[in-house]
Amino acid sequence: MGNRTVSLRLRLAGTMALLFLAGTVALYVAAYAYARTAADRSYDRLLAGSALSIAETLVVSEGSTEVDVPYAALDMLSAAPDDRVFYRVFDSAGQTVTGYGDLPRFLRRGRTTRAGLDVAQARGDVEPVTEFFDADYRGEETRFVVLGRRVAEPGRRDAIWVQVGQTRLARQALTDQLVVRAVLPIAVMTGLALGLVWFGIGRALKPLEVIGRDLTRREPGDLRPVIAPVPAEVAPLIEAINGFMSRLDTSIRSLRAFVGEAAHQMRTPLAALRAQAQLAAEDDPEQLRRSIESIERNAARLTRLLNQMLSDATVGHRSAERRFERIDLLDVVREAVHEAFPHQQRDSFTVQTDLEAAPFEGDPLMLAESIKNLIENALHHGSGDLQIGVETSGPDYVILVADRGPGIDAADRQRVFERFYRGSGPSRGAGLGLAIVRQAVESHRGRIELGDRPGGGLLVRIELPRSAE
Amino acid sequence: MTRIAYLSTFAALGLALAVWLLSQPPRGPDATGGSDELLVYSTTDEKEFAPIVEDFRTLHPDIAVEYVELDAAPLLDRFLAERAVGQPAADLLLSTAMDLQAKLVNDGYAAPHDSPSAQAIPEWARWRNEAFGITFEPAVMVYNTHAMSGRPLPKSRRALLEAIRGDPEFWRGSVGTYDITSSSVGYLLASQDDRLSSEFSALLKAFGDVGVRVEDNSSTLLQMLDRGQLKVGYNLLGSYARGLVEQGAPLAIVYPGDYTLAVLRTAVIPRDAPHPRSAHLFLEYLLSIRGQRLLETRTGLSAIREEVAQETGRFGLSQAEIGLLRPITLGPGLLVYLDSQKRRRLLANWTSLVSTPAD
Repeated sequence: MGNRTVSLRLRLAGTMALLFLAGTVALYVAAYAYARTAADRSYDRLLAGSALSIAETLVVSEGSTEVDVPYAALDMLSAAPDDRVFYRVFDSAGQTVTGYGDLPRFLRRGRTTRAGLDVAQARGDVEPVTEFFDADYRGEETRFVVLGRRVAEPGRRDAIWVQVGQTRLARQALTDQLVVRAVLPIAVMTGLALGLVWFGIGRALKPLEVIGRDLTRREPGDLRPVIAPVPAEVAPLIEAINGFMSRLDTSIRSLRAFVGEAAHQMRTPLAALRAQAQLAAEDDPEQLRRSIESIERNAARLTRLLNQMLSDATVGHRSAERRFERIDLLDVVREAVHEAFPHQQRDSFTVQTDLEAAPFEGDPLMLAESIKNLIENALHHGSGDLQIGVETSGPDYVILVADRGPGIDAADRQRVFERFYRGSGPSRGAGLGLAIVRQAVESHRGRIELGDRPGGGLLVRIELPRSAE
Repeated sequence: MTRIAYLSTFAALGLALAVWLLSQPPRGPDATGGSDELLVYSTTDEKEFAPIVEDFRTLHPDIAVEYVELDAAPLLDRFLAERAVGQPAADLLLSTAMDLQAKLVNDGYAAPHDSPSAQAIPEWARWRNEAFGITFEPAVMVYNTHAMSGRPLPKSRRALLEAIRGDPEFWRGSVGTYDITSSSVGYLLASQDDRLSSEFSALLKAFGDVGVRVEDNSSTLLQMLDRGQLKVGYNLLGSYARGLVEQGAPLAIVYPGDYTLAVLRTAVIPRDAPHPRSAHLFLEYLLSIRGQRLLETRTGLSAIREEVAQETGRFGLSQAEIGLLRPITLGPGLLVYLDSQKRRRLLANWTSLVSTPAD
C-alpha cells in the first residue's frame, strides 16, 4: 500500500474538535466572569438595601449608638434561601455596637483597614461610602457590603458603619445557571457541527470510493476515461487519471502499430527468401547463382531492418535511462564513421572540423547510433560526396551530415521522423532511421533539422547544447 | 499530528474533566462512620417523647439513645460550652427556640442533612438543609371554661384586650403567660407578636394592669389553668393543652382569629457530632412518614408533614376555626430579635408593660 496518513475525517474532525473545545473553554471563562458579575450586581442591590435599612434606624444620642435592626433587613435576604447572613454595626474606633463582632475587615489595596474608613478619611470627611467585597468568614466565601452614615451630632465629625454579609450560595447558583445557559447551546451546536463534519466528509468522499470500485472491476485493456460526478476539489485528480490513461492508450496503440508494421516488413523479404530458395532447388546453375544473389540481397535487407529495430530499442531504452557520461563528441562521431563506412571508403574519409576536441556530456552509444543511421541513410540514398562536419555555434555543438542524394520534399520533412514512414521517393529503408536519430537528439535536449544542400542533396543539421544544464 | 497524539489529547482532556468532577465536594449526610450511641439534647418533655425513642429503638436496636431534657437557653449554653472545651457531646439538638437554632445554623455549627424525606417537609420549615422543623405547634389562648362561667370566650387579641379593659376586676390575677425573660419560646412568640401585631403593646399593658402571672414553662401555666387559678393563658403551646383537654380538663383552646402563630420544634445536627451516623438516622426517622405519624398519634405534638397532618386533620379542627395560621418560618429573619440591642429593648419594653403598677 501507498503512504497512508491520518484519515482526512479524523484529521478534520480532530482539528475542529480541538478548535471548538478551545473556543468553548474561552467562552466558559468569559461567560463565568460575566455571570459572576451579573449575579453579584443583582444580589448586591438586596445586600445594600439590607444595610441601608439597618443604617436608617441608627440613632446617636449622648455618645451612645442605638440600632433597631428591622425584621425585614435580614428577612429580605432570604430571597437567597440557603444563604447565611451576618451583620455588624460599629463606630469609627472599630468598636462593635451590635452584631457579629468578628466580621472580616474591608481590604483595600492590600491593606487591612477598618471597613471603608481609609476611603472616608482620605477625603477628609465622613461622607457615606458603600463598598462591596468578598471575604472568607466562618469557612464560607461571603459577600459583604459596608456603608457609612455620618453622625448628625453637633461638634462631632464621626461616622457609624453598617456591614452586612451573605454567603455566596445563591450567587453561585445564579452564576452557574447563567453560564450553563450561555455555554450549553454552544456546546450542543459544537457537537452537532462535529457530527455533521464526520458524516459530511464521508458523503463528500463517496465518489472516490465509486471510482475506485469502477477501476478495480475494469478489464485490463479498458482505458476509457473515468466518468463520475466528483467534488471540485477531487476533479484535478480525476482529470490527471484520465489524461494518464489517454496517453497510455496512445502509447499502447502506437506499440501495436509498430509490432504490426515490423511484422509486415519482415514478411516481405522472408517471402522473397522462400521463393528464391525454391528456385534454387532447380538444376539450372545460372538460376542458382541468381537465386543466391537474391537471397543475399534479401538477407541484407532483413539484417538492416533488424539492426534498425535493435538500434531503435537501444536508443529508446537508453534515453529512458539517461546514463550520461563525459565524452569527446569528435571521438564519438569518428568512431561512428569508422563503423558505418564500408572497408574500402573508411580510410579516405575525414570528419571536417576546426575543433581539437569537443567535450560533451551524453550517452556515446545513442549518439553513435544516430550518426551511423544518418551515414547509412546518406550512403543508401546519396551517390558520393558525403560530408560530415562538427562545429560550434553559440552555446551548441552542430553536427552536419550532407549528401548528394535526392533530398526530402519540404512537405515530407516532418513526417519522415515518424516510425516506418517511408518518403514518397524510391526507398528501401525500413523507415526507422530518422525516428531513432530524433529520439537520441531530443534525449540530449538537442534539435534536428532537415534542409537542402546547396548544389543539390540533403543537409541534416543537429544542434546539441554544450552545457548539460 | 498523528492519530495517537489526537487520542491522547482527548484522553487528557477527559481525564481533566473527571478530576474536576471528582474534586467537587460530595453532598448529603455522611452515611459512614459506624456508631451505636446517640445523645439528644431536647427541650421536649422526656415522657412526651418516649414513644418516639422507643419506636426508633425497635428500628435500630444497635443504637443506644440517651435523651437529655433541657430548657432552650441552657441547652444552647451547654452545647456551646462543650464545644468550646473541645468535647462536643450532643448528636442532635431539638428545640422550640427556633431563633436560637437558626443562629446555630447561621454561625456554621450545623451539618447538612439531605434526603427525600427532608425535601418533603415544607420549604418554610427548613433552612439550608441544616435546620428542620419536625413539628407544627400553634400558640393558642387557653381558657378555663368553669372560671369563664358562661361568659363568651374572646376569640382574638383585640377581643381579649377589650374584655380585660371592660372588666379588669374579673381578670385580675387570673391572666397567665410566658415570662419571656427566662423562657426562650416565650421570647420567640413575643418577638413575633411584636413584629406582627399593632395591638401587642396595648395587650401587654392590659395584662400588666390586671397583674399578669408569668411563668417559665407552659406546663405550670396549664396546671394553674386546670386548677382554676387562671382564667386565661396567652401564647401557650396548644399541643400540651390538647393532651389535658383529652383527659377531661375544663379547658377550651382558642386559636386567635386575627392570626395564630405556630412554633416548629427544630432539629439541628451539630457539625462535630460524635455519632453522625446515628444522628442522621434519627433525624431521618423523625422526618419520615413513620416517625411523623407516631408524633401525630402517640404524642401531643403535631406532624409537620402535610400528608401525615391531613390524615388526622390539623388538630382535629377545620381551617375556619383556626383562622389565619402564621407559622414562624425558619430563616435569617429570626436572627433579628437575637440582636443584643433589639433584645434588650424588647425585654425592657415587655418588663415595663407587664409590671403591675405600683399601688
